[in-house]
Formats: sequence, structure tokens, C-alpha cells
Amino acid sequence: MLMKTEPVDAFRVEQLTVDYGGESGPLQDFTLSIRQGEITCLLGRSGCGKTTLLKTLGGFVVGRDTGGVLFEGRYLNGPTPDIVMIFQENNLFPWLTVRGNIEFGLKFKPKDKRRAGVVDEMLQIVGLSEAAHRYPHELSGGMRQRTAIARALVSDPHVLLLDEPFSALDISLRRRMHALMMELWEKTSMTMVMVTHNIEEALQMGHRVVVLGDRPAKVLIDADTRSEAMKDRYSPEFLALQQKIESVIY
Amino acid sequence: MMSKRHLPSAGPLLVGALSVGLLLGLWELAGLKGGALASVLPPPSQFLRSIIQSNFRIGLGSQAATVTESLMATFLRVFVGMGIAFVAAILTGALLSLSRFATWALSPILQLLAPIAPIAWIPTAIVVFGINDVTAIFIVFMGVYFILTLATLAEIRRIPPEFGTVAGNLGATPAQRWLWVTLPAILPGVFVLLRTNFIAAWMAVLVAEMVGLRDGLGAIIMMGRNLFNNELVMFGMVVIGLTGFIVDRLLQFIGQRILWWRV
Repeated sequence: MLMKTEPVDAFRVEQLTVDYGGESGPLQDFTLSIRQGEITCLLGRSGCGKTTLLKTLGGFVVGRDTGGVLFEGRYLNGPTPDIVMIFQENNLFPWLTVRGNIEFGLKFKPKDKRRAGVVDEMLQIVGLSEAAHRYPHELSGGMRQRTAIARALVSDPHVLLLDEPFSALDISLRRRMHALMMELWEKTSMTMVMVTHNIEEALQMGHRVVVLGDRPAKVLIDADTRSEAMKDRYSPEFLALQQKIESVIY
Repeated sequence: MMSKRHLPSAGPLLVGALSVGLLLGLWELAGLKGGALASVLPPPSQFLRSIIQSNFRIGLGSQAATVTESLMATFLRVFVGMGIAFVAAILTGALLSLSRFATWALSPILQLLAPIAPIAWIPTAIVVFGINDVTAIFIVFMGVYFILTLATLAEIRRIPPEFGTVAGNLGATPAQRWLWVTLPAILPGVFVLLRTNFIAAWMAVLVAEMVGLRDGLGAIIMMGRNLFNNELVMFGMVVIGLTGFIVDRLLQFIGQRILWWRV
């Protein structure tokens, strides 16, 4: 029997408005909670505001002061090493090796907060111990993303924000990355928020899938996808939800 | 297998060496006949012999300098000038990229000064600094600095926005972000332009040596002209061509081996 505990919010987005100086911004009066220890996937058409939402969760974009983003109970007004973002590309510095890039995650941390051996540990977790001395241009797309993930993890963040991190990868690599992310989640129960275009990816990786509608962004579907059936992409439940999301987005 | 793999790299070298050899051969052949052509364009065998006879010393009496001294004088001017311009351009670029007010104030000045040929600064520089190394270094600086500043700005604009976000996210302050991300990101691109502009700096310093300074490679040619010594003129030209080529290769080597990454 599972103990039913009250879920805690990692983020509370409250009446958030982001308008980049224009009249109708991507986010207006937007409200959403994101629970701690869950993988939340954000789906939606291009330009629906999901990437903007992700950026506000990271503190990279701060909305108008009529509302805001509460992170662990405090208003977020800038980036923090507690919330680390991973992009689709250009995550790695080309002049640093895999190890150098991962160590970059510790560079600006006070010395007493660095765990010894954490870089080697992370290299092992993402399976790049053998490639530690290589430079980004010598790596495949999957290895580059794994390096970025390792760098994010060495700084011990509370939240991982993922902006279409696997879009540039082919399907088999992408599935391997999903498995790796699930494995990481099993180990850390870290809060993760991922923006994706790929419905299958969202349903398989996510504990919760949020589908956003167009400008201004609003929640069209908010589905719990942690059931066993949702992890089987041929199950009727999976296909039904997939169809429902498709009909809403396209 | 091995020889086949080596062919592509040896090929261009071989063809290049052959064509240079052919040029030298034709030059020698033309000089063999003697006459007017040989005195205007003395062939290598002729001017090399007379340089060796004079023990690689050029000039009259106690003022004579060795070829090495002339070479070093020119090198010092070019490298110090380019080095100062490189550092100054990156610092200016950084200042302009960080402050909008600095951009407003400085960019018209930069754009007004950039088109002035470095050679045009020679008369003023000689008056201000005198006939010495500072003048030459100043002229090299003026020939390279503006282009490199504009290159720095262009390179800064080319940096993927993710780089800055990643560094800020991991806790870097703006200054740390500049030092650990912006600087390494722009160095290779600015260095490529430094190499391209080496020729301009090289020419500027040679002209300065011809018209004002008394030593250096440019002065060898001027001395040859004043003494009606075409062998000296030819020798000076060959040394200039050869060293220019070697320095360019050296800069290429640094660009490929030390600042090799592309952003």
C-alpha cells in the first residue's frame, strides 16, 4: 500500500504576465502549480508560450510585478543555481573537454560546497567516463546532451528545466535518453519540467502532462500520466490521450 | 596504403615548391644573359653572393647593421604593435558590449578613424614620438586596432545566447561570465582577423621604415635605392617576402593548434 502524502509545490505560477514590451504577450494572468519530485511535461503549438513559461520558471525571464513565480515559497527574481536549464543545443563550451564542461558546473560554487569526486561520479552515471577527455565537436548529439545533464547535476540543483533537450536526436537515441532520465529520476526524485513537441515523449517521460493553448497561454489539458498503462505506447489509454492531445494542438 | 594517405598532404607542397623553383630558375636564366635586366633584377645567385661577401652586414662603416638586426627590429615593431592592438581591441570590444553609453560615445570616433590608412599617420607619429620604435609600433597599432575592435564586436554578437544563460545559471557574475565565456568564445575569431591583418601591419611598418626610420627591413630597400644598389633592393624584397610568409604560417599554426575551436 502506498502512503498517500499531500504533494508539495515546487513552483506556483500566480497571475503571471510576460509581454516583452508588446501588447499581447505570450503569458497573461497565467496560473499553474508544479509539484515537487514530479516530471511535468509541457506540450503545445509553437509560440504558445511554453518556452517563455519555462524561462520564467528558471528566473531567466521575470514577468510584470502584478504576479510572479513562487519557487519553494519565495518569489523568483533571477536565475539561481538551484534551478538549472538544459537547452536543445549550444549547452557546451567548445573549448572545454567533457570533463571541463562538467567541472564548469562547480566553478562558481564556494569550495566547501563542492563534493569531492562528484565529477567522476556524474561521468559514470551518464556513461561518459571513457569520453571525459574529448571535446564537444568530437561527440555525438546524445553524448553532448548527456554531458549537459551531468554538468547540471554536479551543482546539486533542486529542479531541472529541459527545453526540448532531445529534439535534435534520432528516435533510438531519444529513447535511450528517456531511459537515462527516468533512471536519474529514480535516484534523485528531482523535480523536472520539460518542454517538448513530441507527444509520445511527454506521455512516456512525464508524471503529468500539461497541454497549453495559444496566446495568451491557457491550460487545455492537465493529465496525470504516471499509470503503468501510460508507459506502454500501444495501450488504449496511451493512444486515447495521444489522440485527445493531437486534436487539441493541431 | 600509407603512401596513398600521405599523397594529398604532400601534393600541394610539392607543386608549390616546383612553381617557386621554376620562378627562381627563370629569374636566374634571365640574369645569365647579363645586360640591363640583370642590373635591375639581379638574380638570386648574384645578390646572395654579394650579401655573403659583405658578411650579411648592410650599410656603411660603423652604422652597418646585420640582416638579423634589421629583421629583429622589424619583428619587434610588428609583434609589439599587433599584440597591443589585439589586447586593446578586445578590451574596447568588451567595454562597448557592456555599456550602451560607451557605444554611443565611442563608435563614431572608431568609424571616423578606421578608414585612415596607417601610412597616413607616419608624418604625425614621427613628430610626436620621434624617429624610433614607438613610431613604428604606433603605426602598426593604428593599422590593426580598429579592424580588430569591429571584429571583437561582431564576434560578441555571434555568441549563442545559451552560453551566457548557462554561465549565469551556474552562478557566474557578469565579470566571471565575461572572463570564462565571452573571452574564450571570441578569441579564435578575433585571432583569425589578426592573421588576415598581419599583412596590413607588415606593410605599414615597412613603409614607416622606408620613409622615416633608419633601420629594419624597409630601410634595407631604401638604402639600396639611395646607393643605386639593386642587389640590396632584391635581397631586401626576398627577405621581406620570406619572413612575411613564415610569420603568416606561424600565425596559422597558432590559430589551428592553440585557438582551434569554433563557436
